[in-house]
Amino acid sequence: MSLRNTNHRWGLLSQLFHWLIVALIILQVTLASLADDLPPGARKLTLLARHKSVGITILMLVILRLSWRSLNLTPLLPATLKPYERFLARFTHAALYVLLFAMPLSGWTMSSARGFPVSWFGFFTLPDLVPKNKSLYAALLTTHEALAWVLAAVVTLHVAAALKHHFMLRDDVLRRMLPFTTTGRGPKA
Amino acid sequence: MIVKSSAAARARLRDRAVRVPALLLATALLSSRVAAADAPGVRHYVLDPARSSLEFTFLQAGAQNKGRFKSLQVSFDFAPDNLAASHLDVVVEINSLDSGDEERDDTLRSADLLAASKFPQAHFAAAQIARSAAGYEAIGKLTLRGVTRDARIPFTFRTATENGAPVGYMSGKTSLRRLDYGVGQGDWRATDQVPNEVGVSFALRLSAH
Repeated sequence: MSLRNTNHRWGLLSQLFHWLIVALIILQVTLASLADDLPPGARKLTLLARHKSVGITILMLVILRLSWRSLNLTPLLPATLKPYERFLARFTHAALYVLLFAMPLSGWTMSSARGFPVSWFGFFTLPDLVPKNKSLYAALLTTHEALAWVLAAVVTLHVAAALKHHFMLRDDVLRRMLPFTTTGRGPKA
Repeated sequence: MIVKSSAAARARLRDRAVRVPALLLATALLSSRVAAADAPGVRHYVLDPARSSLEFTFLQAGAQNKGRFKSLQVSFDFAPDNLAASHLDVVVEINSLDSGDEERDDTLRSADLLAASKFPQAHFAAAQIARSAAGYEAIGKLTLRGVTRDARIPFTFRTATENGAPVGYMSGKTSLRRLDYGVGQGDWRATDQVPNEVGVSFALRLSAH
């Protein structure tokens, strides 16, 4: 299978970005909910530090992913889609990209507003995006949590659509994002 | 029950055992200070709290963070040409710490870190002042979280006359290992998120009395 996308299939690099980010989002939710249940202390600090580092990693991956997307063909939506489905698909994908920026950026800004600089796994410290501000911190905490729920809703829609395409419409839409599978069209893997 | 009460009695005895020599020491220090102040050329300085700062720096999850102690007392007997009669005594109120975040301040004061309710003060007593390449060094004992250890704190000192009164500026920078003093029990003993090394820096304005 090729590294680059074709009109009918996501290339290996696009697939790698997609599934890596899926895995990291699952990790993020896990770290955040584990930290949420803990009182302030060393364990909470460790979990939140990891959460921030992973969040910055996702931000970096999304920048790379969008750059790669812009240098590539984007596989076509199935011709069978109705106009509203076409709109819904485009809207969902755009929303996912926006959220992949909004989540880490709101988290990073929230840390800056709290006065806790963000370090990337201890290798380097990111600059503060805003000066320390208690009420801004509170607002951003609410925003970050609300965006997480929005992300959960959009991901649910995205997954439901992928499963519908695979099991009900029986087309290539899910398979073309999966490695080690063949699709009905284009060069075989 | 018997076990518990005898443990309590032991603790009381231990407290008394600590308190009596501490009282003797304080008396000795006090009398030595009077003697020192009387020694030729020795000037007695106390802190001008409004224009002094005592800060600490630490890494938290890889990022540099800073805090300060707002309340401390300093007693400094000093004569540049009579170092034998010079002494430095600093008491820091642990509860006065301010790291810029209330939740973090509470964590720092908690039993596993500075244990502020049990050990409300840190104390540095230097009976010896030595000249060093960079200025001076105060050589004595630092008590923090109930642990006393030998400590050498480098500092520079310059005097000036302001509004007709003699003042002194003392500043310096050092670092200490928090775990040497038990600052970090339980999970806080780990040094991956909060390293052992803690920076301490001070810029004090002292007025002569």
